[in-house]
Amino acid sequence: MQGQIEEASYDVLVIGGGIAGGEAALNLANNGFKVLIIEKDLSIGGKMILLSKVFPTLDCSACITTPKVSEISRHPAITIFTGSEVQKIIKKDYNSFEVEVLKNPRYVIEEECTGCQLCEQACPVIVKDEYQFNLVGRKAAFIPFTIASPKVAAIDIENCTLCGACEKACPPKCIDFTQEKEEYRIKIKSIIIATGFKLFDPLMMPRYGFGLYKNIITSMQMERQLAPTRPFNTILRPGDGKVPCKVAYVLCTGSRDATIGNPICSQICCMYSIKQAQLLMGALPMADVTIYYLNIRSFGKGFEEFYEQAKGMGVNFVKGKIGKISELENGNLMLRYEDINENKVKEAEHDIVVLSVGVIANQDTAALFPDEQLKLDSFNFINQPDPLATPARTSIDGVFVAGTASGPMDIPDSILSAGSASSEAMSYLIQKK
Amino acid sequence: MNKKLGVYICHCGGNISDYVDVEKVRLSVENEEGVFIAKTTMFACGDSNQKEMVEDIKNNHLDGVVVASCSPKLHLLTFRAVTERGELNKYNYIHANIREQASWAHSDDKARATEKAIHIVKAAIAKVRYAESLVPIKIKSIKSVAVIGGGVAGMKAAIELSNLGCQVYIIEREYFVGGRVSQWDALFTTNETGKELVTRLYNDLVKRRNITIYTSTEVISCSGNIGDFKLKIKTTPRYIKEKCNLGELQNAIDACPVEVPDDFNFHITSRKAIYHNFPGEYPQSPVIDIKNCTRCGACEKICENVDFSQKEEITDINVGSVLMATGFDPYTPADGEFGYNSFDNVVTLPQFKRMIDLSDEKLTFKGREIKNIAYIYCVGSRQVEGENKYCSRYCCTSAIHAAINAKKKFRNIYNFHFTRGIRTYGKQEVLYDESSRMGDIYLQSYENDPPVVTGMNDKTVVRINDILTGKREMEVEADLVVLITGMVPRKDNSVGSLFKLPKGRDRFFNEIHMKLRPVETVIDGITISGACQGPKNIMEAVNSALSAATKSYSYVSKGELELEPIIARIDKNLCTWCNACSQACPFDAVKMEEDKTKVFAVINSSVCKGCGMCLPVCPTDAINLIAYSNSEIESMIDALA
Ligand SMILES: Cc1cc2nc3c(=O)[nH]c(=O)nc-3n(C[C@H](O)[C@H](O)[C@H](O)COP(=O)(O)OP(=O)(O)OC[C@H]3O[C@@H](n4cnc5c(N)ncnc54)[C@H](O)[C@@H]3O)c2cc1C
Ligand SMILES: Cc1cc2nc3c(=O)[nH]c(=O)nc-3n(C[C@H](O)[C@H](O)[C@H](O)COP(=O)(O)OP(=O)(O)OC[C@H]3O[C@@H](n4cnc5c(N)ncnc54)[C@H](O)[C@@H]3O)c2cc1C
Ligand code: SF4
Ligand code: SF4
Ligand code: SF4
Ligand code: SF4
Repeated sequence: MQGQIEEASYDVLVIGGGIAGGEAALNLANNGFKVLIIEKDLSIGGKMILLSKVFPTLDCSACITTPKVSEISRHPAITIFTGSEVQKIIKKDYNSFEVEVLKNPRYVIEEECTGCQLCEQACPVIVKDEYQFNLVGRKAAFIPFTIASPKVAAIDIENCTLCGACEKACPPKCIDFTQEKEEYRIKIKSIIIATGFKLFDPLMMPRYGFGLYKNIITSMQMERQLAPTRPFNTILRPGDGKVPCKVAYVLCTGSRDATIGNPICSQICCMYSIKQAQLLMGALPMADVTIYYLNIRSFGKGFEEFYEQAKGMGVNFVKGKIGKISELENGNLMLRYEDINENKVKEAEHDIVVLSVGVIANQDTAALFPDEQLKLDSFNFINQPDPLATPARTSIDGVFVAGTASGPMDIPDSILSAGSASSEAMSYLIQKK
Repeated sequence: MNKKLGVYICHCGGNISDYVDVEKVRLSVENEEGVFIAKTTMFACGDSNQKEMVEDIKNNHLDGVVVASCSPKLHLLTFRAVTERGELNKYNYIHANIREQASWAHSDDKARATEKAIHIVKAAIAKVRYAESLVPIKIKSIKSVAVIGGGVAGMKAAIELSNLGCQVYIIEREYFVGGRVSQWDALFTTNETGKELVTRLYNDLVKRRNITIYTSTEVISCSGNIGDFKLKIKTTPRYIKEKCNLGELQNAIDACPVEVPDDFNFHITSRKAIYHNFPGEYPQSPVIDIKNCTRCGACEKICENVDFSQKEEITDINVGSVLMATGFDPYTPADGEFGYNSFDNVVTLPQFKRMIDLSDEKLTFKGREIKNIAYIYCVGSRQVEGENKYCSRYCCTSAIHAAINAKKKFRNIYNFHFTRGIRTYGKQEVLYDESSRMGDIYLQSYENDPPVVTGMNDKTVVRINDILTGKREMEVEADLVVLITGMVPRKDNSVGSLFKLPKGRDRFFNEIHMKLRPVETVIDGITISGACQGPKNIMEAVNSALSAATKSYSYVSKGELELEPIIARIDKNLCTWCNACSQACPFDAVKMEEDKTKVFAVINSSVCKGCGMCLPVCPTDAINLIAYSNSEIESMIDALA
C-alpha cells in the first residue's frame, strides 16, 4: 500500500482487527460488502491469537484463530491496514463518513518481505518483547510472533540504532529506512468499532507488590508461558528461572473494586484462571495451584462443568480476600488473606503469584468524532443506548460496536456480538442505499 | 492415480511436536512412492505456510496434497482452500490427523505416538494417490427463511432477515408472540418493561410486507434439505372473527363458566377459556382456548364475533433455511423442594415478577402483606444430584433486580438473599452493589449444605449455615420465599426431534463449535439462536439471533448453494431394492424409484451426508461412496498394517 489513496472508498470501516473485528469483517465481506480494517498493532488477531488454550473447550487458541486470520487476510473484499490509526472521522451526509487514517511506517516493504527472519538475527539491539508481555527480549528488527498476520518484519525505530545490519542481511532488500508516515482520506458508509479492551495495570495496586517482586506476574504473562508460541519451553518464575511448584492466583485484581475506579466484574478472569490452573496441572504435574476468589463466576455454557472439572483435578479454591503480598528472601511470596469460610486472617506461602487482571475500557475511539459525540458509559466502554433491542448500536447513527469495546466478554460472546454488529451494519447499508 | 504429492507435517506449536517426532515422520514418508515434497512446519494453518504451500503446488504442479496436523473438523476446509488456490482441484487434498489421534492420545509414549503418526500419514498418502477431482453439487436455494418461535430472538431475527430482503415466516406456537419477555415488567439493566420492548419489536414487524406471522401454529412435518425445506404447519383457530367489539367481548368473557390457571401469570391468577391478550402480547386479538373450552355456547350468545365454525388449517411453506428460536422454560421445582407446594408462601422468581407487576402500593400474596422476603438461589441450576449441572446465568442478576424493584415499589420490604455466590458478571455487578447499599442482606452456603425451609405454626423459616460469617447458623422468618429458578429446555421440545437437531449435555440445542460456528447445527441449513441454545439474557439472545439471521441469510442469499460431492452412489444394475440402505440411512437420503425394468434405490444428493452407513448393509455391494472407494480404503489399510 504505497502512496496516497485520496479517494478510496469502502462500505464499512472496522476499527480493530481482534476476533470481534475480524468476525464482523468476514460476515460483511462474505455478504458482498467492501470492508477496510484498521489495526493499530503490527498483526491482526487481537488478544486471542496470543492465548494458550481457550475455556471451556480447551481448544488451542492459535489453531482456531489462525484460519480466521488467514481467511480475513486473503479475502478479496477485505483490505487491512496494520500499524495504522484512525485520526478523525467526520460525518459527511446522511450515509457517509470521511475518515482520516495514518499509516505508520514499518520500514519494511510489506509485499516483498518473505518473513525469513534474517534481519532479526542480524540486529544487535535487544529490547523487551511486548508480544511476550515483557517476559523475554526481542530485536529492534523483528517479526512480532510466529503466527503474526501479516508475517512481515518491522523495524522498531525508537530502539533502532540505524546500524544497518538488517539492511545488509535482508535477501530481498526490502528494508527501507526512507519510509514515512502515510495519510489517507477514505470515504466510508458505516463503521464498526472493535477496539477491544485493555488489561488492568497492577502497578496501580501497590499492596500486591507487582513490579517490585519479580515472581508476581499477570495472567497474560502466564497465558504466554502456556501458549504454543511460548517464550520458554516450560513454565518458569521470572525471578530466578525456577520451575514453580506452589502457584497462587489472585482473582478480581483490578475488578469489582471501586477504590481503583473499576467497580464492575471483568467476566472472564475467573474462567481463564480456572483454565490456566488446569493447564498448569498438566504441564507441572507436581505443582499445587490455589485460586483465591471472592465468587467464582462460571456462568456460561459448559463453564460450571469446567469449574467442577478443575476441582476434581485438585485445584485448590480458597474463598478469600488478599490483603497484602510480601516477598521472602528466597523469592517466595507470602500472601496475607482473610479466609472467608473460616472468618480468619491467614498467611500462605507461594513461589509464584499470578494476578488475574481485569478488563479495562479502551478509550481510543472516544475522541475520533469531532462533530458528534461518541458516548461512553460510566465505565468508559462504548455506550449502548438500546442494549436490549439493538445491542450493537452506539450514540451515532451508522456507527456500531462489536466485542469487548462495549464491555467485558469472552470469545464466544465477542463473536456473537460481532455477528450482531455486522448484521445491523448490513441492514443500515441496505436502508441508506 | 496421483504421482506428484506434497506432504506437510505440522508441529502445531508444540501440540504435536512435544510428543511426536515430526522430523522422524517426515523422514519416514519422504521416500514413499509419489512423494515429491515432504516438509515440516510450525503452524501449517498459519498464513506464511499457506502461502508456501500454494507456491509449492503451483510451481511443481503437484497432483495430491496431504497435511498431517489437527482434526479435520478444524482445518480440512482450510487446506482444501489452499489446494484450490494452488490451482489444484480441492478434492485432491487429504487430511491426516496426528494431533487428536496421535500426540494428544498418546502423550505418555512418545516413541509409539511417533510410530502411529507415521502410519496415519502413510495411509493418507496411500489415499491421496487415488483421490480424484470432484465438482461440488449445486442446488437451488429459495430466498426465504422460517423462524420457529416468536420471542425476542425470533422477532429480531425476522426483522433482520426482512431488511436483507428475505421472505420470512414466523411460526409461533402460542396464541401470541413476545415469548417470555412479554411476561416481565421492568427488565435489567435498562428498566424498560418487557411489554414496551415487545411492543417496539412487534410494531416494527407488522409494517413489513415480507414477514408473515403465524400464531397458534406448529410445524408438524419437515422434508427436503438446505435450500429447499418443505414445512407443513398446522394453525389452531382463535374462534373469533377478525373484527371484534371489545365491549361485548368483556361480557362474553364474564359469561364464560370455565376458569383455568393463567399460564401468563404462572398460575398465581386464573383466566377464562375465552380471554384477551395481556399488554405486550400480540396480536391484540382475543382467543378461545379450545383445549379448555366446553363448548357451552355462553359466549357465543353474547358476542356475535365468536365463531365456532373456524377450522384448523394446514399450510405448506417452502424455505431455504430454518432459524430456531424456541426459547426456554423456567425450571419448575419438585414438590417439597425448598418447601415448594408444601408451604403456600413459596413461589418461583417468574411468579414473583408477576406479583410485583400485579400489585399496587402493597405487595400482597394470598391476602397477606409481604415484608420479609427470602430468596433462595440456584434452584434447578448447578445441581449436585439432578441433571442440570449448569449455571443459568440470568438469574442472579434478575433476582437482585427484582428485589431492588420490590423495595422501590413497596414500603417495608426486607430482602434476604440465600445465595451460592453471586454471579452478576460484567456491568451487572453494579446492581449487586446497589442492592447491598440499599441494605439487602446476603448470605451464602455451598452446594453440599443448602439452606433449609421449614414451617412452624403458620411461619416459614429459612435457615442457613452462612459461610460469609464463618458458618454461623442464621434464620430468617419469611413472609414470602422466592425460589430463584433457572432456565431449562422447553418441556415440549419435539420440534427439535422433528428437525433432528442434536442436544448438548445440558439438553439445550447444540451448535457445531462454540467459537468457530456458534449458530450453526450439524443439520445443514438450520441455525439456532436465543435461549433454546442455552441460558441467555435478552442482549445475549438478540446478539445470537442476529448472528443466526446472518448465517441463514448466507444460505439463501445467492439463490444457489454448493454441497459436498462426497456422497453415496448406487449402482442401479446391482440394486435389488431390499430396502436395507434406506433403513440404515440416518438422514432419510435413500428413496425408492421405479422405471419400466425394475424397482431400485436412489440417493438424494442434497440430503446424503456421505456418512457411509448404507454401504455395509447392502447385500449386493451396489453402493459406493465417492472418495472412499474400495481401492482407496484397501490401500489405506495396507499402509496401516
Ligand atoms: C489472560 C487472558 C486469557 C483469556 N482466555 C480466554 C479463554 O480461554 N476463552 C475465552 O473465551 N476468552 C478468553 N479471554 C478473553 C478474550 O481475550 C477476549 O474475549 C477477546 O480477545 C475479545 O476480543 P476483541 O476483538 O473484542 O478485543 P481484542 O482482542 O482486545 O482486540 C482488539 C483489537 O483492536 C486493536 N485496536 C485497539 N485500539 C485500536 C485503535 N485505536 N485503532 C485500531 N486498532 C485498535 C487491538 O490492537 C486489537 O487487535 C482471555 C483474556 C485474557 C486477558
Ligand atoms: C424470571 C425471569 C426474568 C428475566 N428478566 C430478564 C431481564 O430483566 N433482562 C434480560 O435481559 N433478560 C431477562 N430474562 C431472560 C429473558 O427472558 C430471555 O433472555 C428471553 O426470553 C430469551 O428470548 P427467546 O426468544 O430466546 O426465548 P423465549 O422468550 O422463550 O421465546 C421463545 C418463543 O418460541 C415459542 N416456541 C417455543 N416452542 C415452539 C415451537 N415448537 N414452535 C413454535 N414456537 C415455539 C414460544 O412460545 C416463545 O414465544 C429473564 C428470564 C426469567 C426467567
Ligand atoms: S525484512 Fe528482509 S530479512 Fe527481515 S524478515 Fe523480511 S525478508 Fe527477511
Ligand atoms: S470474572 Fe471472576 S475474577 Fe474476574 S472480576 Fe469477575 S469475579 Fe473477579
Ligand atoms: S446465575 Fe446465579 S442463581 Fe442463577 S444458577 Fe447461576 S449462580 Fe445460581
Ligand atoms: S452415505 Fe449416509 S447419508 Fe448418504 S445415503 Fe448412505 S447412509 Fe444416507
